[in-house]
Amino acid sequence: MAGIDKVAVIGAGVMGAGIAAHVANAGVKVLLLDIVPEGAENRNALAEGAVARMKKADPAPFMSPRAAKLVETGNLEDDLDKLAEADWIIEAVVERTDIKQALYAKIDAVRRPETAVSSNTSTIPLATLVEGQSEAFARAFMITHFFNPPRYMRLMELVTGPSTDTDIAGRVADFADRRLGKSVIAAKDSPGFIANRLGVTWIQLAVGQAFEQELTVEEADAVIGRPFGIPKTGVFGLLDLVGLDLMPHVGASLAAALPEGDAFHTSRRELPLIEKMIADGYTGRKGKGGFYRLNREGGGRQKEAIDLSTGRYGPARRPRLAELEGVRNPRQVFDDTGRIGRYAFAVMGGTLAYAARLVGEASDDIAAIDEAMRLGYNWKWGPFELIDRIGGAYLAKRLEEAGEPVPEILETLGERTFYRVEDGRRQVLQPDGSYADIVRAEGVLLLADIKLASEPLIRNGSAAAWDIGDGIVCFEFTSQQNALDEEVVSLLASTIKLVKRNHKALVVYNEGSNFSVGANLGLALFAANIAAWGEIERLVALGQKTYSALKYAPFPVVSAPSGMALGGGCEILLHSDAVQAHAESYIGLVECGVGIVPGWGGCKEMLARWQEPGALPGGPMPAPSKVFETVSMATVAKSAEEAKGLKFLRADDGITMNRDRLLADAKARALELVDGYRPPEPHTYQLPGPSGRLAMEMAAAGFARRGIATPHDLVVAGELANVLAGGDCDLLDEVGEDAILELERESFMRLVRTSATLDRFESVLETGKPVRN
Amino acid sequence: MTKAVIAGYARSPFTLARKGALARVRPDDFAAAVVRDLIARSGVKPEDIEDLIVGCAFPEAEQGFNVARLIGQIAELPETVAGMTINRFCGSSMHAVHIAAGQIAMGAGDVFVCAGVESMSRVPMTGFNPMPNPKLYEKNPGAYISMGDTAENVAQRWQVSREDQEAFAVRSHRLATEARDQGRLADEIVAIPANGASVSEDGCIRPDTTAESLSELKPAFLEGGTVTAGTSSPLTDGAAAVLVCSEDYAERAGLTPLARVVSASVTGCDPTVMGIGPVAATRKVLARSGLDIKDMDVVELNEAFASQALACVRELGIREETLNLDGGAIALGHPLGASGARILGKAASLLNREGGRYALATQCIGGGQGIATIMERM
Repeated sequence: MAGIDKVAVIGAGVMGAGIAAHVANAGVKVLLLDIVPEGAENRNALAEGAVARMKKADPAPFMSPRAAKLVETGNLEDDLDKLAEADWIIEAVVERTDIKQALYAKIDAVRRPETAVSSNTSTIPLATLVEGQSEAFARAFMITHFFNPPRYMRLMELVTGPSTDTDIAGRVADFADRRLGKSVIAAKDSPGFIANRLGVTWIQLAVGQAFEQELTVEEADAVIGRPFGIPKTGVFGLLDLVGLDLMPHVGASLAAALPEGDAFHTSRRELPLIEKMIADGYTGRKGKGGFYRLNREGGGRQKEAIDLSTGRYGPARRPRLAELEGVRNPRQVFDDTGRIGRYAFAVMGGTLAYAARLVGEASDDIAAIDEAMRLGYNWKWGPFELIDRIGGAYLAKRLEEAGEPVPEILETLGERTFYRVEDGRRQVLQPDGSYADIVRAEGVLLLADIKLASEPLIRNGSAAAWDIGDGIVCFEFTSQQNALDEEVVSLLASTIKLVKRNHKALVVYNEGSNFSVGANLGLALFAANIAAWGEIERLVALGQKTYSALKYAPFPVVSAPSGMALGGGCEILLHSDAVQAHAESYIGLVECGVGIVPGWGGCKEMLARWQEPGALPGGPMPAPSKVFETVSMATVAKSAEEAKGLKFLRADDGITMNRDRLLADAKARALELVDGYRPPEPHTYQLPGPSGRLAMEMAAAGFARRGIATPHDLVVAGELANVLAGGDCDLLDEVGEDAILELERESFMRLVRTSATLDRFESVLETGKPVRN
Repeated sequence: MTKAVIAGYARSPFTLARKGALARVRPDDFAAAVVRDLIARSGVKPEDIEDLIVGCAFPEAEQGFNVARLIGQIAELPETVAGMTINRFCGSSMHAVHIAAGQIAMGAGDVFVCAGVESMSRVPMTGFNPMPNPKLYEKNPGAYISMGDTAENVAQRWQVSREDQEAFAVRSHRLATEARDQGRLADEIVAIPANGASVSEDGCIRPDTTAESLSELKPAFLEGGTVTAGTSSPLTDGAAAVLVCSEDYAERAGLTPLARVVSASVTGCDPTVMGIGPVAATRKVLARSGLDIKDMDVVELNEAFASQALACVRELGIREETLNLDGGAIALGHPLGASGARILGKAASLLNREGGRYALATQCIGGGQGIATIMERM
């Protein structure tokens, strides 16, 4: 069966353009078309404008400048014929049935018979869309519903109709999964599909109930945020993000499509304040402000929140709610009998009950509904996972007490849980009351599944090593935020010995939201505060020794990051034979930001990479200058592709688009390297010595004069320059790796003894950001 | 004593470094195109040329290996034409003319091509391996001071306000735009083949520059400073060349010289205010030639920064109606090694176009120097 080598997207609005950008991120050519604006001089203005905007947008829709070049722009009048080149045509035009249908007729006239056509509609049923179209069109047609922003949201709902050809749909699903990295969730052709139907209901409940129960927006977001595993933006912060003006449209079209008696309708409220906000331009972050705003009057940055009863802004307050203190299970919030408990139950109880009603209607697959909410709304737990935590029987009882009908699936569930583990296999409840294994797609390997079925080879409080089959060991960080501490390092050392004895290769991987945010600064600050300098230096040396052991181990090491891989986390990648990175990997050596220098071989490895022949012009300065520029600014690559440009990744390191396929890809890479594996040869360096140090210091001083670098930045930059220049070496010296490690260690120790560095540690721990001192 | 004359002037388009049309063209290639075209249009016999002297501020990488000799070969000059690369930073190619004039005066040759080249896209300012001497730096940190910092120093010491700098930049862009639009630049520009295209337009001029648009820019070098990217010359790619020969030769060969070289000077100054270099260099050259600034009908003062250009204009009493009549480096660009040949050739051709008797061409030079040349209309 032919693959998908070229895609066309019609409609260069936020979604269409974002989808086109993401197709380009996959390295696939994409044609982006829109209408010719009336009286336009440039007939491609809409598509070109969209691409130009996206190149500047933050968060960036494109993963690299190279991707942006894969988007060809055009218009629907002059370039319609080019649709014949596309293997998949995605329609993302305005949500009007007549316009979409007229467009489909035009598409049908030029597309090739095997070309898939899909709509990104969020509300119009597939059955309506194909009305009046040819049979051949209906065969090729489906709904592919992406979430905003298309690059970052991992969910794609796929709706097929009775006429849709399974091969064509399979080709699209496979492309969306492997190339676009989406979790493809099959949804029935019902209004709003899964995520938005439930998500919009949840939003309407949360907003309406906040007015009714008289909660402040800060309180509402605090109640339904963290306790329920929902991002701390809660609901009001989320609305500010997506735009207040979007909700009335989505709400109205869902209301029109859903049958009378659907619980969706009871979640809707007339809210004059919000109508007024929209009318006055307070549409959220894109407008003058929303439920929250940053007041910059007088040059300050005061976060303010709106008072729902008066419509006036006041300073935002972090609510101190006794009801939420010590909450480990969301059920405890439901148990509160005051306004907080009432609000929580009205919103989340209502939402979970509605989710239960979607079983059979929007999807028969409970795990799919959970995944849709995890990936489409960034919930930590899907609704059924939440019900399992709260207790299905408890929820049913509470609903009964409240006079609400109990959804059928909760009756079926009874005292059981939706998920269970049977013989090391994760199973989920079926609508008929039985359990079935959750089957992973081919090429999907999850450590979570392995952990259910086995015990670690070794573990301690901060890390574990697992046998993932075929002679491959997976080393996992398990510490808070995957921060690196002595336990991680020492278990890594033990794992290296273990793999050497009994296995073929090592993969460093975990399923946290971040690979690792770097070393545990809290422990370092504690040690510094009791002046345990010897301890700190010992740990720096231990890390260097262990990372070197990783590099020179007699077996291949493949690291597989996703999310942030910073500082010591980045240094693990730098010491691996290969990296298989999730496309959304954010890699960087950020030590200078917190007032230290990379101390676990990061400087040494980056220098070696930039000194490879052909990377830069010759001579002793280019490599140190380049590394200095990247590391002194604490540069973090905003995608795996970008990390290659900065040499945090090698050109031949692999990139996996789908997060769920990362471990399998990394394991395959490790196996590839096993045969005939030879550890790398140590690098020797030609470095500029004091002259080079001065050149780098002078560059940093220029930044200070411009007000970009602070006084302590200059101190840190001076130490970094010293390491990268090779200390006092002469440019004729051959400098070895150990000498650079020693320089790293010395600089690290000098800096960690300064109060300015410790102030940075402290502020990072308290506020997440280093103080500018 | 035999006088040297300027018998021809040509240059490449000046385009923005990294973004401009010449960014991906080797500097030795576009310099050779300029040299070849200059020789062809001047009518000089190539075999009569004694030497090709090329100024370059960072003569390494594609500008390395004695690039003058290589440019001569790329331009297919006869093997007998020698080649010498010289470096006086921004004053390099003006000094190439001084060398030629000196050679002519001592009877060591009749015809010289004096060129300058800089690809600031392909060889960074500082070069690829900047390795300052720590001991010198300790004693005299100004030795390696960055150019932007010197522009701020001059603005402060000579009290050049930001508004004045911006008005000066607007003037430069306005004059350059008018000159281009009225076809007054076309004669001097040699089209350069650039990856399949032919580049014949300057790329740095911004016709829409206004005082208002400049006022929105952030200081580029100093927090709270007055110098911005808009009041600095841009990083530029380009080459320029002048034909220098003895007056006798010009007559013999039937060339049409533009101007006679009257006198020349170089001088050192405090590196931290290098932009003021033209003041001492000009005073020296005026004294040497027994002339006064009032005698100068045409002045080409290199606009490294508006602050230093204005400070020099005020110190020297340069009349505005004589100054940079077709715009200066702020608008046209400043490819370091090439600027000297450009302003010298420009001054010579302006003398012819505008009438008048004497022209002054002068430049500041990084590291703390000034250079100046006085020419007389033939």
